[in-house]
Amino acid sequence: MEMKQPKPLIKDYASVMWHRVCIVAVVIGVAATALSTLLISFITPPLMFAHLALTGGVGVAILLSIIGGAYIVLRPLRTIMHAIAHTNGEQLAVTIPNPHDKKYETTGLGTAIQAVYTKEQPISSVVTSTNPTIATTSINRMHGAIMTLDENRAVVYASGKAPTYTVNGILRPQLLFNGSDSLDEWLDECAETAVKAERLWQRVPDKPADTKGQRIFDVYASYEKGAAHETVLTVVDMTSRYQEDEDNLNFIAFAAHELRGPITVIRGYVDVLQDELDETLESDQRELFRRLSVSANRLSSYVNNILNTSRYDRRHLNLNLTPNQLASIYATISDDMNLRAASQNRLLSISIPTDLPEIAADRASLSEVISNLIDNAIKYSHEGGTVTVTAAQQGDFVDITIEDQGIGMASDVVKNLFQKFYRSHRSRETVAGSGIGLYISKAIVESHGGAISVRSTEGYGSTFTVSIPTYASVESKLSVDGGNQNLISQGKGWIKNHSMYRG
Amino acid sequence: MTAIKTVLIIEDDRFIGEMYVRSLKKAGYDVDWMIDGHDGLVAARNKPYDALLLDVMLPEMRGGDILKALRGNGENLIPDTHVIVLTNFEQDDESRLAMQQDADAYLIKAEITPRKLIEILKNLDAS
Repeated sequence: MEMKQPKPLIKDYASVMWHRVCIVAVVIGVAATALSTLLISFITPPLMFAHLALTGGVGVAILLSIIGGAYIVLRPLRTIMHAIAHTNGEQLAVTIPNPHDKKYETTGLGTAIQAVYTKEQPISSVVTSTNPTIATTSINRMHGAIMTLDENRAVVYASGKAPTYTVNGILRPQLLFNGSDSLDEWLDECAETAVKAERLWQRVPDKPADTKGQRIFDVYASYEKGAAHETVLTVVDMTSRYQEDEDNLNFIAFAAHELRGPITVIRGYVDVLQDELDETLESDQRELFRRLSVSANRLSSYVNNILNTSRYDRRHLNLNLTPNQLASIYATISDDMNLRAASQNRLLSISIPTDLPEIAADRASLSEVISNLIDNAIKYSHEGGTVTVTAAQQGDFVDITIEDQGIGMASDVVKNLFQKFYRSHRSRETVAGSGIGLYISKAIVESHGGAISVRSTEGYGSTFTVSIPTYASVESKLSVDGGNQNLISQGKGWIKNHSMYRG
Repeated sequence: MTAIKTVLIIEDDRFIGEMYVRSLKKAGYDVDWMIDGHDGLVAARNKPYDALLLDVMLPEMRGGDILKALRGNGENLIPDTHVIVLTNFEQDDESRLAMQQDADAYLIKAEITPRKLIEILKNLDAS
């Protein structure tokens, strides 16, 4: 059986160097002795003991001077070789060279040793290429996993704890990104614009909140166009760290539910009293009831925004997409919107045709989006201003437009507008708000498979446009998923992992 | 189409229960109100109501269990009753979907004023 020779170590090369010098010195010393003896025997025969002693002395002197010279020259090189061997992870029998040793101060050798120590060592490739078992074991011991994706985004390698699922026989990463801020969207962008790119997402779960065994990851993606394995994902399991935040979100959801009880009673009794006292109320009393009603309704909207934000952040926003006329959805909030506009002395102009194609919508969620946008338009428009709501078909979508001629926004405000808790400096000083209305509106619209956009000019007002798919354009996708029970859309793609009902 | 006349409310919150009773009676409905889940189930079994307004979080017996007892296992003990679940509580998906399947409507209480509730009842057929 052929034995494989072990790979030579760097530290051995220092000894090899020294052995070679000694051999060369001995060879030259012996050769010099022999040569000088030969010369003497030719010049002054016969060969005497004194001659031999002289030539032998010359040979030994040459040998010693070579060894002594080599020692002076090679010693620092040997030290550097030991430093290199140490950085390569080799065990040394001698003391590890110390760059701060006083004896190296004057010569600059200390600086050379330091340079060796600070140089990055590409040792991992050596280890993984020679011993893949060690690499695999090490990866599987990670508190996370590594996944490699090909150009079709199929997983071609996944380490032991990688969150994956199989669809149509293809392995995919099982990661629930939020809305359009997803790996797929990023890879779409990379495919068009990048050769190499890197990206980090935090708090990405593999399953919806409250699902048994849910894990939450930080996901680091590295993309290289045209590489054999185009995308490498490193996922680090951060479940225990994020669990505390999840508990906080649960608390928010729970507190919001608690608020719903009193809101039910306030809204209900305002409604009852308005009805019962209708004939006896003076006009100023009617106005007071109207304000009570508007305030209770707004409180209810805020609670819904908080609940929906909590649901969305926990990947738990479930929608029930059914065929709906936009006009009939608006009718459910029409009275409330009119009240809100009138109480702020704004005119609300609504023009929603009743013959538009049906849209695939969750009635309650979409009405909250429209309510949020109208509420904003009222808040940011001028006293006596008009808020105009229109709708029209645009291909496979119905566009809903909410326009005001209010204070408008600068471009640097617009680009951050849909971020959670974002409030412009000016808004913070002048208008009350929590900064979640537009965030959750965008989330809801994108979960419908739609889009939301804004055009704004500072000093001239803003126009928000919400595009929702027509029911006909998505009906086949909905029916495939078994009567709307198991589908939600996130961003551009339809993802089959949610019940669509919104509770 | 026959109008809804008799309504059973199973609701443990006294403010909300009284509010529904008051509004529905004023609107001309014949209303019974039960505060705990067990009594509610007995009432629903004993009398054929046209509509049942059912809360989810209830003492003695939860709304989901009442619904299961009345309409679960493929058996409908109250075929002539419209069941409207009214809740402010966010159930897990499984429980909610199960109630949705067995109920005629599943609504958020905070968003349904008595006036809206009466509109919904008016649109139901009691025949």
